[in-house]
Amino acid sequence: MESIVFWGFNFYAWITIVTVLTMFTVLLFTKLRADLVFLGAISILFVTGVLNAKEAFSGFSSTSVVIIGVLFVVVAGLTHTGVLQWIVKHLLGQPKTYSKAVIRLMLPVAALSSFLSNTTVVALFVGIVKMWAKKLNVSPSKLLIPLSYASGMGGVCTLIGTPPNLIISGLYAEHTGSAMNVLATTIPGLFCLFIGVLSIIAMRQLLPDRQAPEAAFESTSDYTVELLVPSDNPHIGQTVAEAGLKEVRGGSLIEILHFDDITTPVPDDDLIMGGDRLVFAGQIDEILDLKKSHGLVNADHHVFTMSEVDTNRQLRTAYVTFGSVLINKKIGGSTFEKDNNMILVAVARRGMRINESPHEVVLQAGDTLLFECSPNVKIETEQLTSQLQFFDSAQVPNIGKKTFISTTIMIAMVVLSALNVIPLLQCAFLAAMAMIIFRCCNVDQAMKAINWEILMVFAGSVVLGVAIQKTGIAERLAFGILDVCGTNPIVVMTAICLVGTFITEFISNTAAGAMFFPIMYQAAEKLGYEPYPFLIALMVSVSSSFATPIGSPTHMLVYGPGGYRFSDFMRIGLLMNFIILAANILIVNIIYPLTPLNP
Amino acid sequence: MNIEIKEQNGTYVGLLSGWLDTNEASQFMEDIKVLEENIDKSIVLDCKDLEYLCSLALRGLLKLKKLSATKGGRLVLKNVNGEVQKILTMTGFIKLFDIE
Repeated sequence: MESIVFWGFNFYAWITIVTVLTMFTVLLFTKLRADLVFLGAISILFVTGVLNAKEAFSGFSSTSVVIIGVLFVVVAGLTHTGVLQWIVKHLLGQPKTYSKAVIRLMLPVAALSSFLSNTTVVALFVGIVKMWAKKLNVSPSKLLIPLSYASGMGGVCTLIGTPPNLIISGLYAEHTGSAMNVLATTIPGLFCLFIGVLSIIAMRQLLPDRQAPEAAFESTSDYTVELLVPSDNPHIGQTVAEAGLKEVRGGSLIEILHFDDITTPVPDDDLIMGGDRLVFAGQIDEILDLKKSHGLVNADHHVFTMSEVDTNRQLRTAYVTFGSVLINKKIGGSTFEKDNNMILVAVARRGMRINESPHEVVLQAGDTLLFECSPNVKIETEQLTSQLQFFDSAQVPNIGKKTFISTTIMIAMVVLSALNVIPLLQCAFLAAMAMIIFRCCNVDQAMKAINWEILMVFAGSVVLGVAIQKTGIAERLAFGILDVCGTNPIVVMTAICLVGTFITEFISNTAAGAMFFPIMYQAAEKLGYEPYPFLIALMVSVSSSFATPIGSPTHMLVYGPGGYRFSDFMRIGLLMNFIILAANILIVNIIYPLTPLNP
Repeated sequence: MNIEIKEQNGTYVGLLSGWLDTNEASQFMEDIKVLEENIDKSIVLDCKDLEYLCSLALRGLLKLKKLSATKGGRLVLKNVNGEVQKILTMTGFIKLFDIE
């Protein structure tokens, strides 16, 4: 079969080409799961004899794929200990101009994305940026594309920041026997980010000024929160306005229940008394901050001093399940809190703001409840799970000692691998173990955090790369590009990166990385140059998909909330593709000058 | 609820008695207007026979106390006990009043 050659490709090469093209057509035009499509493609390549068993399953034992899997656990530790929420809260601030807002948004997002999954970071920021945009009186569509772009550009800054970097560096290590430094892409990545931020500011007119479709229901994620005033509170005797409790950051006081259950509609001159239950509506994390700033507490009974409150208690969020016995009941009128050793702090309902104390709310299926409970409380009991579905909410912060521990683990992992003290794979395993040992996340959360679908796609991409190389497609394409572009290494580098940038608009950037690796590697070798700088440029370009919403999962995350149209990405993204490509080629050739291969 | 106000040697003494709940609170606020007119004087509210006071009444009392402080007067609560003592302790208002 290998001897049958048509247009320079043998039979196996044609099978590979047809399989890859079919796979992308299926991915583009159907809603089939990506992992199944990749698995199907691998099966075809294996059954038809293009790949042997070892090659067909090489993706699953690939170091880079294993690292990606282990990093899911590390990220789970960071997420569950509130690191992301802390950063979001402290970094955005109140910038006065659009340019400053873009900088305040893009830099932290890029910094986070350089260590965490881009999708995780963007998913966390989307809701917050929408609220932030409202505060700044800027349309969310002016900030959500920059958010998604920043995560992509930030991801490039480290090898662990984005899967294509791991895949390309992993393949490079397999080919040459020497590993790339975890910070190999940092300077090129930062330079491109710098150029990217400036470009966004300069081209802001190209970003649409559009209201998100659900803008009318902006307050749907508002929680109604009840906080108690202990008898030793310093604000007792002040009016709500004097105490700064009427209009608070992220919300407002909607009701006061005094000790004698007199509810007031909260005039500015109402006095704060010990025993008052203050009912706020708004952004949950900002309102819960009042516990620290104003000495308020969550409790199901009156407290005389702050010291009576157990500070180790944790916040848990839950949905009222369909068929729950809590439906049409009030938590206030039941023994639920005592029976389960948890206190209802807040309630949220999609589609409306609740204007009464959480304890007085007649619950409906789908209501989100926020409880404060002991860290040891068992939420998996049969009785509880029949009433409530507990989940981890990104909006609810649990910032404490563990926030510091998980951050230290993450930094230690990056530093140790960057300094080559311990290889990245071992570092990632140690960090994941540390996250579990120090209880930054539990085993359940760690297992749930591993996205098997994404892992399968990554493994599949590696296998496709092997097929493309083995069947000589990579070599032929490399020669083809050399024929068109001549022998100037920078022209060849630019040409492959340009094709990579546009291909990655339509396929996963990991797949693009895996497939373009052999082409770029072969081209560099054929020209007689060390492939390292070529591959660094490739890493940047396959992550630079700005022109279509399907170019990156993070674009899809902002597509709906921003109220975007397909063409919105095209208008600014096409220019961004060319700008970042130019910046990429320039900086890579400065930082990693081309060196001829030793003969 | 009953309030009896009399002047003794330049001090206004109010004798509070009974159950001062929300139904009585608005009448109470009317009754203490006499004290507001003499807020720069010394005022003593005797709570010996007061059995209960609601949040609205408490609010009225604290406003009176604040007003007296700004006008150079003095407001004292006397013979606070039982349920009233508990309410003042729980609300933290016990620290805000001069109590004899």
